[in-house]
Amino acid sequence: MLALAHAELGRLFDALHAEGYRVIGPTVRSAAIVYEELDGPADLPVGWTDEQAPGRYRLVRRDDDAAFGYVVGPHTWKAHLFPPRERLFQARRRPDGRVGFDPVLPDEPPTAFLGVRACEVAAMEVQDRVFLEGPHAEPRYAARRRQAFLVGVSCLEAGQLCFCASTSTGPRVDHGVDLAMAELPGAYLFEAGTERGRAVLDRLSARPATAEEHRHLDEGIERARGQMGRTLATDGLPELLFGNLDHPRWAAVAERCLACGNCTSVCPTCFCSSAHEESDLTGDDAARVRTWDSCFSLEHAEIHGVNVRPTVEDRYRQWLTHKVGSWVSQFGVSGCVGCGRCIAWCPVGIDLTEELAAIRADSAAPAPMPVRQAPAAATDDALVPRAAVVIGVTRESADVVTLHLACDPPLALRPGQFTMLSLPGLGEAAISVSGTWGDAFEQTIRDVGAVSGALSALRPGQQLGIRGPYGNGWPLDAARGRPVVVIAGGIGLAPLRGAIRFLLEHPLDYPDVRLVYGTRTPDDILFGHEMLGWASRPGFRMAITVDRADLSWRGDVGVVTRLLRREPLSPEATYLMCGPEVMMRFAVEALTAAGVPSDHLYLAMERHMKCAAGFCGRCQYGPFFVCKDGPIFRHDQVARLFGREGF
Amino acid sequence: MAAATRPRLGVFKLASCDGCQLTLLDCEDELLAVAGAVDIVRFSEASSRPDDGQPFDLTLVEGSVSAPEHVEQIHRLRARSKRLVTIGACANAGGIQALRNWVDAEEVMRVVYARPDYIRSLATSTPISAHVPVDFELRGCPIAREQLLELITAMLTGRRPALRDESVCMECKRRGNVCVTVATGEPCLGPVTHTGCGALCPSYDRGCYGCFGPRERASTGSLASWFLQQGMVPAEALRRFRGINGWSEAFRKESERHER
Repeated sequence: MLALAHAELGRLFDALHAEGYRVIGPTVRSAAIVYEELDGPADLPVGWTDEQAPGRYRLVRRDDDAAFGYVVGPHTWKAHLFPPRERLFQARRRPDGRVGFDPVLPDEPPTAFLGVRACEVAAMEVQDRVFLEGPHAEPRYAARRRQAFLVGVSCLEAGQLCFCASTSTGPRVDHGVDLAMAELPGAYLFEAGTERGRAVLDRLSARPATAEEHRHLDEGIERARGQMGRTLATDGLPELLFGNLDHPRWAAVAERCLACGNCTSVCPTCFCSSAHEESDLTGDDAARVRTWDSCFSLEHAEIHGVNVRPTVEDRYRQWLTHKVGSWVSQFGVSGCVGCGRCIAWCPVGIDLTEELAAIRADSAAPAPMPVRQAPAAATDDALVPRAAVVIGVTRESADVVTLHLACDPPLALRPGQFTMLSLPGLGEAAISVSGTWGDAFEQTIRDVGAVSGALSALRPGQQLGIRGPYGNGWPLDAARGRPVVVIAGGIGLAPLRGAIRFLLEHPLDYPDVRLVYGTRTPDDILFGHEMLGWASRPGFRMAITVDRADLSWRGDVGVVTRLLRREPLSPEATYLMCGPEVMMRFAVEALTAAGVPSDHLYLAMERHMKCAAGFCGRCQYGPFFVCKDGPIFRHDQVARLFGREGF
Repeated sequence: MAAATRPRLGVFKLASCDGCQLTLLDCEDELLAVAGAVDIVRFSEASSRPDDGQPFDLTLVEGSVSAPEHVEQIHRLRARSKRLVTIGACANAGGIQALRNWVDAEEVMRVVYARPDYIRSLATSTPISAHVPVDFELRGCPIAREQLLELITAMLTGRRPALRDESVCMECKRRGNVCVTVATGEPCLGPVTHTGCGALCPSYDRGCYGCFGPRERASTGSLASWFLQQGMVPAEALRRFRGINGWSEAFRKESERHER
């Protein structure tokens, strides 16, 4: 370890500048210590500290000249790695119907982050798991993260809202930085963590630290550990929370919670985002812009007109059960690093440590949580579309069309997967793949809004943007050799069509296939012509019901479950379901009552899939992202949440 | 685009200060492009082109329903408009003139005007949506230029306008502002207020006045309780919520909770 006198700190800035970095670090602005670009030591918050309480932060004078004598302020480093607002790509649509997409990648100068706390290093490592692990990696985050030079500063004093000792994420910066630093009353101590850290350290002409300085550092760390104003019992938190989804505390905290999103914005690990189209008045030159979003916002849980988390109670529970609960199942680590920002910057002072303690103090039995699956290898930029061309259009009903599409290179698709289809300047929608035909593929779209309406209006020869394929697909291997019952409602038949085709093409593997299909009216029946062909196959049976019909309809009227019950429901069979959640709920009830085991039921879940790559958090469903862990779930995976409101 | 196929735009006012119409004129850089893309048939603040009586594709209306003739006028406009968008706090919530809704309007007229018999005014100032169905509310006092352009662009390109219903805090944090309430104790309506201003006041270290009206799920009760705990007197809490958007449901109910 090396040491510099306080007056020599300018050498660190000189060294970083000489190595080509601009420096972002703590400085005083608007009555707080924030992270902004610094010219030199004079910009540091020398002689200032922060006093924090729930809903309260005050900058106060210290009686010494410490430059790092505060804990953490309202800013986070995530703003520099995952900016609050960022263009993802530029898009064009020409009058001839061709489209083009140009990714926008970071173009910032090399940056050093000065004053990274141990909890903040931990937070970056949490976000690394979100953005860098598979199946997709976010190249913008990756580029900034790779480039950022981290100067960590250990905390020798802790704040009233700190609890990194409970979350094991501090207070000592002992890994994950290029240069680790500590501020003692008489000197700064330095230790390099990487080669490039060593290069900066070599420029400092620092002297070796004394044994006494080593001891002061250790004492300071221990002092900070003992000073923390908050504690959090972390053991078994995911199981505790998912076993207490009906705890009265959720309603109590919802009375206070403003659902304003401040906690998620100041949280160094929260990663939810939204994306929207921006364009000039003509719409020809457009861009997709990503912005920070929050699970407390209305739009976050919307699926065309339905909001799955309408109440403040739903949203707070979503946030906290994810942050310290299902986060562990998803990423193998808690989303809380003990920095206390969400407590200080909550405008009404809600304290998550207090809420969690209250739930723990009076809790029901814990619930088992899924074990984290090893992430697939990360692939390249998943957020920028490429062009696909419309090679044919089939009108299926008054408001449904099937687009026959091709793109180069062709997509490798499994039945049940989906893609993100887009038009520049208009927007993007998740659409299931309804079939493949050689290298071409089909996607069936119902016109329910601006984007799906414009996609439905495409003509052969025109282009559109495509991302994907995404999602896991139907469990056709698991179903081999057993009877298969396909239960579809409305447009839900589209993602099942590819599976049905596959089953019928392999009659030896799937000798007994039954389709039960419900839709609104006889005119809404999809794939009618193709169904006639299916009906002639041996080993295939089919029944259709509609919600309402005129007298010309000779078939069934009523709900799908009634049709389903008409034949014995074999516990041996595999059941594949896609349709409105309420239909699937009643089907699951009927099947469960008939003794079909939970692990024979497969459901295609629908949530708002915005990025489809696991980055935006919109399709969060308990411990899963519907986009990358689904959209098809075995019932026993989601049984605890399926059919419940507010998730 | 030929003039005949350009969407027809009408801009009208009821009881208002004209500030929201001025926002359209304030789109200096984009105004010519807008004028090229849409046919501005009527624009009471900026044009004296005579009304041809034909329907509008998009009608922007500022101002509240405050006088008897406004009731007729807004029904006529609704009948002529494919899409009717109300712009600004007056049109969406009754405006500052809705303060009279809590008092005896006739008495006020007697006190303020030398010849109250010259005044023809309704007893209340009400939002347009209280009289006719409204397709979209563009919030603000005045409305934000960027939001107006987004609305018009989205209409022209056929997309859903990227205009969110979220707290001012979200945009405040995206801008990197320090929360004025937490860091200085200054009361701020940001958590319960609809976004759209770009967090203007907090960007200058001032609390939000709620110009854009309540957001969805505006937890005004919790925020007001916090203000009172921090030492605000009930009369001040009442005033905070009874401002430009005082007659909007969430703010109205909150201010009434603090009446003596």
